[in-house]
Amino acid sequence: MGQSQMFAKPTVLVVEDEPLLRMMAVDLVEDAGFEALEAANADEAIKILECRSDICVVFTDIDMPGSMDGLLLAAAVRDRWPPIEIILTSGHVHISEVEVPHGGVFFSKPYDHSALTRTLQSMASGSGH
Amino acid sequence: MTSERDDTRRLEALALYEIMDTPPEPEFDDIVLLASEICQTPVSLVSLVETERQWFKARIGFEQCETPIGQSVCAHSLTSSDLLVIPDLSADVRTRDNRLVTHDPFIRFYAGAPLISPEGVAIGTLCVIDKVARPDGLNDTQRRSLAALARQVVVLLEMRRISSRKDDLFRRQKRISSEVRAIAASSIAAQEAGGIGTFDIDVASGRMKISAEGCRIFHLPIQDEYPANVIYDFILPQDRHLPSADRTRMDGTASLETEYRIHTPQGAIRWISRRASFHRDAEGRAMRMVGTLKDVTEERNAHARMQALIRLGDVLRDTDDVQQAAFDAAELMAEALGATRAGFGMVDPVAETVLMHRDWRAPGVATLEGLHHFRDYGSFIEDLRRGETVLIGDVTTDPRTRDQFQTLLDIGIRVLVNVPVFDKGQFNLVVFVHSNEPRQWSDAELDFIRSVGDRLQSAIGRLLAEMDQDILNRELSHRLKNTLSIVQAIATQTLRAVQNRGPIESFEKRLQALSSAHDVLIHRNWTGASIKDLVSDTLDRIGMLERADVSGPAIFIGPKATQSVMLLLHELATNAVKYGSLSNETGKVAVKWDISGPADNPQLSFSWQEAGGPPVTEPTQRGFGSRLIRMGLLGTGDVDIRYDAPGIMIVMRASLSHLQEAG
Repeated sequence: MGQSQMFAKPTVLVVEDEPLLRMMAVDLVEDAGFEALEAANADEAIKILECRSDICVVFTDIDMPGSMDGLLLAAAVRDRWPPIEIILTSGHVHISEVEVPHGGVFFSKPYDHSALTRTLQSMASGSGH
Repeated sequence: MTSERDDTRRLEALALYEIMDTPPEPEFDDIVLLASEICQTPVSLVSLVETERQWFKARIGFEQCETPIGQSVCAHSLTSSDLLVIPDLSADVRTRDNRLVTHDPFIRFYAGAPLISPEGVAIGTLCVIDKVARPDGLNDTQRRSLAALARQVVVLLEMRRISSRKDDLFRRQKRISSEVRAIAASSIAAQEAGGIGTFDIDVASGRMKISAEGCRIFHLPIQDEYPANVIYDFILPQDRHLPSADRTRMDGTASLETEYRIHTPQGAIRWISRRASFHRDAEGRAMRMVGTLKDVTEERNAHARMQALIRLGDVLRDTDDVQQAAFDAAELMAEALGATRAGFGMVDPVAETVLMHRDWRAPGVATLEGLHHFRDYGSFIEDLRRGETVLIGDVTTDPRTRDQFQTLLDIGIRVLVNVPVFDKGQFNLVVFVHSNEPRQWSDAELDFIRSVGDRLQSAIGRLLAEMDQDILNRELSHRLKNTLSIVQAIATQTLRAVQNRGPIESFEKRLQALSSAHDVLIHRNWTGASIKDLVSDTLDRIGMLERADVSGPAIFIGPKATQSVMLLLHELATNAVKYGSLSNETGKVAVKWDISGPADNPQLSFSWQEAGGPPVTEPTQRGFGSRLIRMGLLGTGDVDIRYDAPGIMIVMRASLSHLQEAG
């Protein structure tokens, strides 16, 4: 691992179409000690993922407008960037309806900030960055 | 009873007939068979009454060939020319002490028509007897038939006398023959009103005498005699073991009562009921097989329709799938009506097309799956649009289809039933039943189809409304949870500068408790929640469920109480984790509830007992959480809190009816 990355914070990509919720999620990610990138939809997220190699977690809402929802985005991430961890969130009640991709974690909205912070931190430490 | 003079005249009349103690004769046997069939009784007798005994010229369902006069119910019939009907022999003063009533065979119902000679003398009766009382007696048809058959007995007696005394014949011939014709005609009319045919098979030759009605039942040209096996060709292969055959008639093992199906020359299927008895010679060999025939198709169909309606009720109650309900209803209709194809299709009312789904079909009938244009088959879509059930008994003659009947015949539709189903005022589903043989609908069948249609329409309406409600609930839930998330985001942004994070975290967790209450409610379509679910959910959310002892009866509370109770439980659990028995590694909490108080105003009492935590003291400061706890289950108080060993104990009470209020 290079010297520059030793000091760089791990990066989390936040994908959320609702600006207020995105703002809150970015704060949460930064408070947890990460660098945050933000995207308002899945297409934007894919563009960011294509030009960044330092993202260790994608934290995405499921219900979003555009050509892809959060589930399709998660599937694309799993397919194209297998090492990246995935966290999904939704206001839908039934978690069983949500097909969480392998290794992904689901949080029901409104989510518990401390529990989400702990999950982010364990993912970052477990991923070897 | 009868007078002595009457007795004398009766005995003289009987003597002239020279009938007493003669062997059985088929003509009389047929009459008791018919009487018991028409009146639906196990017993029928031609009873002739002397001074000391009654003797039976013909009998069915009765062992003895005579009884002492003291046991004769018939003797009571002789004083009147009318029918004597005794609905309950055990309740009638004339018969309640009769030995046949008080002892085996315990007869209960009696109806007798007097046998009145041309001279006006009652010599006996044609009677029917049952072993169960019949409060309603006989119906009009049965009464008239019994009287007609009684007159026929007298005619037979007269004919016997005439043939035995040739010199009388000439003198009486004219009067008698006209009387015979009249009475025979009325008797045949009585038989035919009941649709009952008679037959008489000579076992040795296999020749069968059969009545005109019997021929009609088998759709045979009317003639007096046929080979007994003529009916074989009509009987459905799967029923061919049921009727008698040469062998079973010879050895007398043919079943005496059976029902089987025949094909008519038009291809329809009819159910035939046949009852018979054997006449045996002195050695017990079967000589003749005599019996009655009845077409019971209508009865069987009525029964099938009733069963179909009952099954439909079950099917529609149990299903939550519109297409399954439509298919099941179509199949039940087809079976009950003996149709050849049934199913349903989704309608596009603008394009006037129907997309047929999988259909039920009789063997050899082709499917209609796929897209069809209504106008290719006639104009009946206009009736369907108005919500009317379309019933076409013959597509070649009905004005709605006769111009395109060949198109329909090509796909095996001679009979067409369409039931429209509407969703939100839009014609969008049609249930159909087809048959390839024309038919005349009976009123009962039309009622049946309309009844199935009505039930199906209301059941599907209910299903669609439930589906709409379900979709709406999910959407509302989703939006509400997003709103709660935004409230959470606003609060965290607004309070970002505040250094003390404790209150902000408490707020966030209370918001989640509210959201969880919402989850529990949405699972139950906003009807309420069980206390056990709320307690378990709260403890599970903080990972403490295995350290809790949760017990109480299954009690549901209303949606409003659910939200306040959920917040309350959240505070109790949070306090326990912060300061109480769940703050260490070993403490426990017991959560219990029960119902007490008067039956007309039951109270729920709810207790939260902690144990094994650090020593407890009453808090000096009252935060939001402890204020919420002191407000109790419904915000109306009635809360006891004790800060003793082994841990905090909180008991709350509230009226169960208030907790269960919907609002």
